[in-house]
Amino acid sequence: MKKTYRILPVYTGDVSGAASALYELGGMSVIHDPSGCNSTYNTHDEVRWFDQESLIYISGLNDIDAITGNDDKFIKDICYAADKMKPLFIALANSPLPYLNGTDFRGICKVLEEKTGLPCFYVNTNAMHDYSKGQSEAFLSFAKRMLKSSNKKVKNGVNIIGMTPLDFTSTDIYISDSHEIVSNWALNTSFENVMRAAEAELNVAVSSSGIAVCEYMKDAFGIPYVKGLPWNGKIQDYMDVQRSASKNYIVGEPVVSGSIAAYIKQQTGIDYNVIASTEITDGLLLDCDKRCHGEEEIEEALKDAEVIIADPMVKYIAPQSAKFIELPHFAMSGRLFRKQIPNLMNPEEYIHGT
Amino acid sequence: MPTSSDEKVRIGQASFPKPFTNGLEFNAPVHGTWNIVHIGFRIPEAHQIYICADNCLRGVVMTAAEMGELGRFSSVVLEEDDMTHSGRIEETTIEGVTDCLNKLPKTPPVVIIFPVCVHKFMGCDIDFIYRELGKRFPDVTFVRGFMDPVMQKRGTTPDQRLRKAMSDIIPDMEVNADTVSFVGSDMPANSNDFQTLLELGGKTIRDTAACKTLDEYLAIGESSLFICQYPAGLMATKTISKRLGREFIYAPLSFNLETVREELTASGFAIPDGFIENGINACSSEVEKLRDLIGDTPVAIDYTVAPKPLSLARFLLDNGINVKTVYLDVIDGSEEEDFNYLSSEYPELVLHSTIHVGDRRLVRSEGKVLAVGQKAAWFEGTEYFVNMIEGGGLYGYAGITEFIKHMEDAFVNAKDLRDIVPRKGLGCRSCI
Repeated sequence: MKKTYRILPVYTGDVSGAASALYELGGMSVIHDPSGCNSTYNTHDEVRWFDQESLIYISGLNDIDAITGNDDKFIKDICYAADKMKPLFIALANSPLPYLNGTDFRGICKVLEEKTGLPCFYVNTNAMHDYSKGQSEAFLSFAKRMLKSSNKKVKNGVNIIGMTPLDFTSTDIYISDSHEIVSNWALNTSFENVMRAAEAELNVAVSSSGIAVCEYMKDAFGIPYVKGLPWNGKIQDYMDVQRSASKNYIVGEPVVSGSIAAYIKQQTGIDYNVIASTEITDGLLLDCDKRCHGEEEIEEALKDAEVIIADPMVKYIAPQSAKFIELPHFAMSGRLFRKQIPNLMNPEEYIHGT
Repeated sequence: MPTSSDEKVRIGQASFPKPFTNGLEFNAPVHGTWNIVHIGFRIPEAHQIYICADNCLRGVVMTAAEMGELGRFSSVVLEEDDMTHSGRIEETTIEGVTDCLNKLPKTPPVVIIFPVCVHKFMGCDIDFIYRELGKRFPDVTFVRGFMDPVMQKRGTTPDQRLRKAMSDIIPDMEVNADTVSFVGSDMPANSNDFQTLLELGGKTIRDTAACKTLDEYLAIGESSLFICQYPAGLMATKTISKRLGREFIYAPLSFNLETVREELTASGFAIPDGFIENGINACSSEVEKLRDLIGDTPVAIDYTVAPKPLSLARFLLDNGINVKTVYLDVIDGSEEEDFNYLSSEYPELVLHSTIHVGDRRLVRSEGKVLAVGQKAAWFEGTEYFVNMIEGGGLYGYAGITEFIKHMEDAFVNAKDLRDIVPRKGLGCRSCI
């Protein structure tokens, strides 16, 4: 049954993804949820919580307010918190119960903007999707509400889009001398930094959660984009590197996995196919790649594997005959292998032996 | 007295039992307390299955993973279609649990099922689910858990109901007059006067927090008496006592020496001559030692360290310890007398919420602070802290004396705050 998990953890959820994407941007993220979302997020899905301040709260929704659709308390509590903590903007995230009772988040945002004078936007989550969807929605909602066009352009300026600690441990990105990184969405960054995004001439989506906002910036500001991690200082779209069907697999987020597969192909000529196990995959897979949803599908897809590059948890469902190369992914195994997570920008650290 | 909208309030101006106004909630990066996953694993050989949305599932599955217990844990993911099709949520739950159990190498004897808030809001027929599962797996004992934090603030918590459900499977056995069991706590009894008196009386002691096998757990059904020392376990204790027709004692760790005397005396256990007097003297002498050691060092206490933080604050203040702050969000009804006493005698004592929005931007005091509990340690930013939850199984004069020794040790030996407090479930295995 597709919906059951015997041994694999589910990926970080969309609510946590949204919070992670907005973490460093100076706003206040409010998850309309009884309890649990905040603890789950800051325990298992957020490495910055202990050391770096960010205004992320839950509403503490109770059964009566959920049943009666009492939004007044929610609004009043947010107004109090905004007045006390002075965020730059307010972002609201949904969870299963407000999703079920059809809470009008966009309407609430309008009321909050009137009452607080702060920009406010809704991040379309419901706790039933993975982090890539939550991050994508958060980046897109932020851009739509906050970003302004710019007359100033940075020659060869580049935005790095779709970077959070759920996929990446480092922002140490080298791009050849002719390029300048204008903004990073959104790791080791700031509100001021991301607000410069319209000055760039090119966007680089380094994860699937950056695609939607890249599309938006293409339409709104005419900024083209490529997909993939920059290797050896060179910006290229990983989809341009042709690969063929093989029994070597990389399991994980499609842009990161596709970029690694492209790198291996270019360096060694060996084909790896991507088994995309996170949610956003449209336009991100070659014909030889596959989208798998859940433990059962991944297990089935790996049955003929000879070499697997994946988070160590995947080993539990991998055939024993396959060679397994561990590539810990925080959005899957959380804190379990955190100390072993490599810098994805240095592929030689983790793909030796392929 | 109105509730405070700020994150802290002096006790002399605080309202009882809710000093603070409800609002948006912050969650500190301090996770030593147990959640329902830790608690559920207290039944040896039990398997847990959660049926919920991705984001909700993440917290519990990673709890099990960090305990190294994924082999005893399965999950069923609820998606939008489970909420938009009539009857689908029951079907997904039944078929999902069935699939999980069929995939296990061996069918576990006990399975704890955790439906969630959504099941309740969808009007899901929970009884039908258990009837059907009972037919499919007649050899399995199903424990009716629930992960519904939406009910957290009114009525009973998921934690309380889980403890009750876990005790519901303990069978009604022939009473063994020589067996007494500690029930409802997560911490096994330790430096505990009841334990000492029972041992002196030659009784067999069982403890739901210390069972190694399922048989041992089920054998608690032969107990002639139950002892509960943790408030969240009281409902379970009352229920099992009523169901099996046994007596129970409820006595959480109190720092009131007279209360301890009354509880020990009321227990009916044989108390050796001098036991109480020696216990009181030991407490007095140890707290004096503590006072000499720490002098005027400010002390901060939090509610996770022991069930009666105000009783602790009162005891320490009355003995000359410089308690400045108690971190808590609500006050248990049993602490009303201590609250009134502290309000009157030490009105400057600060009560500080642990979930207030303002807590995200802490202004920490300079200088050494001795913290009693993980949350107090994080809020004060000190590495000198007592690393304990739920009273640590301590009780009575031996418990109080031991508790003070923990404070002395904490004052002298710094701990790695950054490493310790983000770990979940103090006392459980942690693989991170």
